[in-house]
Amino acid sequence: MDERILEFIGDLRRAELRISTAEALDALAASAEVGLTDRETFKATLASTLVKEARDHETFERIFNLYFLDLEALGEGLKKALGPEDPRVQETLDQLLDQDNLDLDELTELLMRGQGSEMEMAIRGGAQNAGLERLMYFLQVGFFSRRISDQFDWSAIERDIEKIMQALEARGLDPGQLARIRNYLELRLEAFRRMIRQHVQRELERRAYRAGEQLTREVLADKPLFALTPDEVAQMKSVVAKLARRIKDALALRQRQEHKGRIDSRRTMRKSLSYDGVPMEIVLKRRHREKPKLVTICDVSDSVRNASRFMLQLVWSLQECFSRVRSYVFVSEIAEVTQAFAAYPVERAIEWALKGAPVDYHCRSDFGYAFNRFATTELESLDRKTTILLLGDARNNYNDPQAWALRQIRERVKGIIWLNPEGQWGWGIGDSVMPLYAPACDIVRECRTIGQLGEVVDHLVHQWWRRGR
Amino acid sequence: MFESVEEVQQRFKDARYIANLRIATVVFLAARMGRPVLIEGPAGVGKTELAKTLSDVTRRALIRLQCYEGLDEGKALYEWKYAKQLLYTQLLRERIGELIADAPSLPEAVARIAGQDDAFFSYRFLSPRPLLQAIRAEDPVVLLVDEIDKAEPEFEAFLLEVLSDFQVSIPELGTVKAKHVPLVVLTSNNARELSDGLKRRCLHLFIDFPTPADELDIIRLKVPEAPERLARAVVAAVQKIRAMDLRKPPSVSESIDWARSLVILNARELDPALVESTLTMLVKYEKDLDRVKGALDKVLADTPA
Repeated sequence: MDERILEFIGDLRRAELRISTAEALDALAASAEVGLTDRETFKATLASTLVKEARDHETFERIFNLYFLDLEALGEGLKKALGPEDPRVQETLDQLLDQDNLDLDELTELLMRGQGSEMEMAIRGGAQNAGLERLMYFLQVGFFSRRISDQFDWSAIERDIEKIMQALEARGLDPGQLARIRNYLELRLEAFRRMIRQHVQRELERRAYRAGEQLTREVLADKPLFALTPDEVAQMKSVVAKLARRIKDALALRQRQEHKGRIDSRRTMRKSLSYDGVPMEIVLKRRHREKPKLVTICDVSDSVRNASRFMLQLVWSLQECFSRVRSYVFVSEIAEVTQAFAAYPVERAIEWALKGAPVDYHCRSDFGYAFNRFATTELESLDRKTTILLLGDARNNYNDPQAWALRQIRERVKGIIWLNPEGQWGWGIGDSVMPLYAPACDIVRECRTIGQLGEVVDHLVHQWWRRGR
Repeated sequence: MFESVEEVQQRFKDARYIANLRIATVVFLAARMGRPVLIEGPAGVGKTELAKTLSDVTRRALIRLQCYEGLDEGKALYEWKYAKQLLYTQLLRERIGELIADAPSLPEAVARIAGQDDAFFSYRFLSPRPLLQAIRAEDPVVLLVDEIDKAEPEFEAFLLEVLSDFQVSIPELGTVKAKHVPLVVLTSNNARELSDGLKRRCLHLFIDFPTPADELDIIRLKVPEAPERLARAVVAAVQKIRAMDLRKPPSVSESIDWARSLVILNARELDPALVESTLTMLVKYEKDLDRVKGALDKVLADTPA
C-alpha cells in the first residue's frame, strides 16, 4: 500500500501540487496510524497531509478516485459476485483454516479469508511480473489480464479446493452444504479473476489521464491563441487563473519595518511604557507603499478575439492587486469597461466587453483614432504611477497611425507595455504599423500563446513591478 | 489520548461540538503524531471553537496567542519586567552598596554585581507570554495560535522554529525545554498566503460551511430549546441564503445566534415579517441585506412544514 500511496503522490505532483518529501513521509506515517479500512477516513488522512491549498482539493479528489476506487469496488465486486452473503459458510471455512493443518497455497488462504487489500497486493505483484508498465492501448487489456492471470498457479488452487472439500466431508457435512461451500469458493475464484481485469482497466485509465494532462499542458501552452477551439479555451481559463494568482501572490503587500527614516512618535511612546517612559526602542514610520495603478487597453476586433479574452480574464482577476484598474476596449472607437468589470462576475464581464460595450465591433481597426480619442479625453487621469497595458496587433488598415497620441500618453505615465498577439515576423508587413508605435513603448512583446503570456507575466512581476520601482 | 476516530467524534459531540469525519480524523492524527494542526476556513465556522473543545475534551488548559499585525517575538514569547527590575534595584540600593563597598577596584565591583546576576535576571522578573507559558507548563496544554494570517511573515518564521523543537533559549536563563509537547492548533482566515515552511509542518484542515444535515445537528446541540420544526426551517433558510451570491455569507455562529434569538422571541416557525426583522443577525452588509430582503419569498419557499 505504501507504494500505491507514493505513486499517488507522484501523480499529484505531476498535476502541479507541491508536495515535499517531509509531507510524503507524513502521509505514509499517518495512513499507518489510521489504517485502510474506511475509505473516507483514509481520504481525509491523505488530504490533511498532502493538500495544503484549498484550490488543490478538486485535483486531489479527481486523482484519488482514480487510484483508490479499488478498495471500495473490491468490496462491491465481491459482494455482487457472491450473491447474498452466507456467513455460515464463511464461519465453517474460518474454523477449518484455524483448526486443521491443511497445507494450502497462500493464495488459496487469501481467497478463503477474503481480504480485499491483500488480494489487491497479490494482483499488483503479479502485474509487476507481467510487465504491466508496457500497457498502452485499450486492446491490450485482455492480453495483460491473461498475463497476470498466468502468474498465479490455478491448478494448485484447484487442488487445494479439493483438499478443503475432502476435509469438510470428513467432518461430516451433508452433500447440500458441501455443494453450497464449493459454489461459494468457485464464485470467489471467479471474482478474483474479474478483479485482475478491473485492475488492468484502471491502470489504463490512469495512464490515459496522465497522458491527457501532460498533453494539455505542453501542447496547448504553445498553441496560437487564435487557433484554440472552444473546449481548449475553457481549459486554458484555468491556466490563466493560475497566472493571475502568481501575480497576486507576488504583489501581496507587506509593510516592512524600516531601519532608517522618520520616527513614529506614537509607536515609540507606546514602546517606552514598558521602560517607564524611557524610549529605549525607537519605532520608525513605515513607508506606505502604494499599490500600482493599471490601465488596460484591449483591441477587441475579430482578429484578436481569443487573445483579448484571456487578457481580459487576467485583468479581471487582478483587480484586487491594484489600487485602480481602468479597462478600455476599442476597435476604432474606444470605450471604458471598468464598471462592468467591477460589477459583473468574470464570464459576464468578458462577454460584455467583447460584445456589449458601446463600440462598433464591425468596423475596421483604427488604432490611431483610438489613441487620439484616449489622449484627448483621458490624459488628466493618468499619472506617474500608472502602467498602461496594451493588447493589439497594430494592423491599422492603412489608417493614419497618429503615433503622436501614443507618445503624448507615454509622457504622462510610468510606462507602456504592448502585447502583440501576432507573430513577430508580421510586424511592419502590410498594414501593421508596429514599428511606428514601438518607440513609444517600454516593453513590446509577442503574445501568441498562453506560454508567452506566462512569460510576460513573469517579467512584469519580477522586474516591472519590483519593490521600489 | 484517542483510541480511534470514532472516539474523537463521540467525545466532541459530548462536549457539544459536531466534528465531521474529516475534522475528527485530523484531530486524531494530530494527537497521535504530535503534529500541529492548521485550520483554514471562512470566519465563524468553528475553528477557534475546535481548539476550545479540544482542550475541554482532553482536559488540558488552553493557552491562547491572538495574532495581529505587528506581533513580535517580545509579545509572543517573553518580556523582561524592566520596571520591576528597576524598582527592586532602587529599593535595594543600600544592600547593593554594601556588597561592593569593600571592592578594591571598579572591575572587581562589576564582577561582584555580575555574580549576582541571577537575582535580577530570574523568572521572577520574566513576564512569560503565551508561547513561553505553553513551553514551561507543568501539565500538558493546548496552544491556540489564532488568526496567524494576521501576523507578519517574520513572525511565522519565528513560530515555525519554536514549533519544531519546542524549546527556547533565553540568553540569561539558558534553554527551556517543554516538559510536555503541547497540542498546537493554528487558525487562519485566509487573508493572505501563509509561508510554505509553516504549511509543510502542519496537518491541514479546511473547514467549510456545514452540510444541511450537519448544521441541523449543530443547531440541535447548541440550541436545544428550539423546537424541531423551527430548527429545520432555520437550517433550510440559512442554506438558501448562503447559496446566494453575497459579500459575506452567514457563518455557523451567526445561524446559531439567529436560532437563539428566534427562541427568545418565542417563534414557532418562520414568517416573512419575523425573518425580515431579525435578518441583521445573519447578514451584516447593507447590500446583502437588500438582496436577501428582495429574495425573501424564495428563501422561505418550501421550508419544511
